[in-house]
Amino acid sequence: MSTLSIGGQQLDASWFLLLSAILFVLGAVGVLVRRNPLVILISIELMLNAANLALVTFSRQLQNIEGQLFALMSMTVAAAEAVVGLAILVDIFRARDVEDVDDLSELRG
Amino acid sequence: MAIAVFFFFAALAIVGGVGVVTLHQPIRSVLSLVVVMLSLSVMFLLLSAQFVFAVQIIVYAGAVMVLFLFVIALLGPARELGRGRLRFQTSLSILFVLALFGLMYALIQGIQYRQPEHADLSFFGTVQSIAVGLFTTYLYPFELTSILLLVAAIGAIYLSRKRIDDL
Repeated sequence: MSTLSIGGQQLDASWFLLLSAILFVLGAVGVLVRRNPLVILISIELMLNAANLALVTFSRQLQNIEGQLFALMSMTVAAAEAVVGLAILVDIFRARDVEDVDDLSELRG
Repeated sequence: MAIAVFFFFAALAIVGGVGVVTLHQPIRSVLSLVVVMLSLSVMFLLLSAQFVFAVQIIVYAGAVMVLFLFVIALLGPARELGRGRLRFQTSLSILFVLALFGLMYALIQGIQYRQPEHADLSFFGTVQSIAVGLFTTYLYPFELTSILLLVAAIGAIYLSRKRIDDL
């Protein structure tokens, strides 16, 4: 039931989902462990990509196009998130050099 | 062939993901993320999502990553301190993330797959089928994303303007 016939071979949908889970977890490690705000944003992009892979996998398994449409929407949201996040980062870096996100813990900048 | 392609690019994606997290220079993290995105675009092609494949390469590996590289070039190579202020943060977060992975693994093992809807696979995932979905059933969400992009553009321009008190 969960096997997908691709190019004449049988691939299991759970392989794709497992890859998606591994990439999501790696992104979560990046967000939690890394100190540089830029690398944290990059890790968030990694997590969003992993979620997209799961959406497209389920879309293919159900042979229903809606999963791919949702992946396209989430790409748009990711692009908007990157633009605004990087703009905030540039604005902060203009005021001072940030090496650690914990440097930004006070309310007044 | 498809199985070999899957495992090669899955390994490449995981290596790239590890690189994003472990490499110390931000520019290397960004280039590792490009590796991950290109590997994932091959995965989309395997899953017969041709349009998502093209968008992934053009928008993600192209536009978004160039934006990241541009900001790194603007800000200069930011060094990263070895450790944060919280002493157990690294070990605690790895523990938490392993628990999260265990949860997701159990979820994936327990999925009850529904019977596929037997769409025409030669039509599935093409630009035409995507467009039929986007411009009929999902027209309003599609239009809303354009408003979202407009808001993001205005916000980025507002945030990066020159302050009056800076002049």
